[in-house]
Amino acid sequence: MTNKEQYLLGVKTALPVILGILPVAVAFAVLSEHSGLTTVETILMSILVFAGASQIMAVGMLVAGAGFLPIVLATFILNFRHVIMGTCIMNRILTIPMWKKAILCFGVTDESFAIFTTTAEKNSTPYYFAGLISVTYSTWVIGTIAGCAASQFLPTLVSRSLGIALFAMFIGLVIPNVKKNTQLGFLVILTALLNVNFNYFMPSSWAIICATLVGAFLGVFFVKEDQEEAPE
Amino acid sequence: MKIFVLILAMALVTYLGRVLPVLFLGQKTNRPRVEKFLRLIPYSAMTALVFPGVLYVDKDFMAIGLVGALMAVALSWINMSITFVVIGAILINMLMYAI
Repeated sequence: MTNKEQYLLGVKTALPVILGILPVAVAFAVLSEHSGLTTVETILMSILVFAGASQIMAVGMLVAGAGFLPIVLATFILNFRHVIMGTCIMNRILTIPMWKKAILCFGVTDESFAIFTTTAEKNSTPYYFAGLISVTYSTWVIGTIAGCAASQFLPTLVSRSLGIALFAMFIGLVIPNVKKNTQLGFLVILTALLNVNFNYFMPSSWAIICATLVGAFLGVFFVKEDQEEAPE
Repeated sequence: MKIFVLILAMALVTYLGRVLPVLFLGQKTNRPRVEKFLRLIPYSAMTALVFPGVLYVDKDFMAIGLVGALMAVALSWINMSITFVVIGAILINMLMYAI
């Protein structure tokens, strides 16, 4: 495949994910406007931070009266999982120059990670990743703008129902692989249990990181992979 | 102005987490176990992101997250595309809020 074809494949693969990201962007914008941020600030946050969960948490903390340092620290902790996700992604695109990776890594999010790492290894190229994140980033920014515009007259019924979108998307990405591989199902259950337990003695963002690492580590010993390629 | 500085600081620490692997990951590993570990991380990560967090989508109404998640599992189990999985979960939650 030419570079252009790889890029376009990335764009095409990311299209269904628009539906997972858009509702979250709208939900963030509505929350942010209601918590007193201006429209410019709301949109600027989406452009510069590009990390949904932490943005929603930040406006929530602002409403609760939290100060500058706690919010920045919470953002750092919550987004620290990008280190693990970035490692998985960068491991597949190591050959490209550092400055290109320094740009592409801005697009490391839960969504781009989820799609990229569940794509067959031969297709997960730098241009493919660039295609993916063009879609996820523009969806996030446009969704935020749309949410700001709609926040006045969007019924609460709708805005409250949007919170499930991101979760549904992850479920939709994992389940087809679990169906094909029972041991992967065990890995999912094990990780969920680990995460519940870790939540008892650490903040949930750290619990997610620990459960991810321990779950995958244990999985190395009992998950049998059908092929060398990651399942798609 | 203070919000603007906050946004910049958030952007900075978020980018820091993203750029660390770029700075510290050198050669591609060819140890099969490490490779396998990295291939399994997507599944453990997505699981950890969903459960138990999904139960607290609406802190006052836990059934919202639970039913929404079960709907998503059911729809993806019958091979629905991501689009319909997401729409289905949103619709059932709207229905639950409506009644």
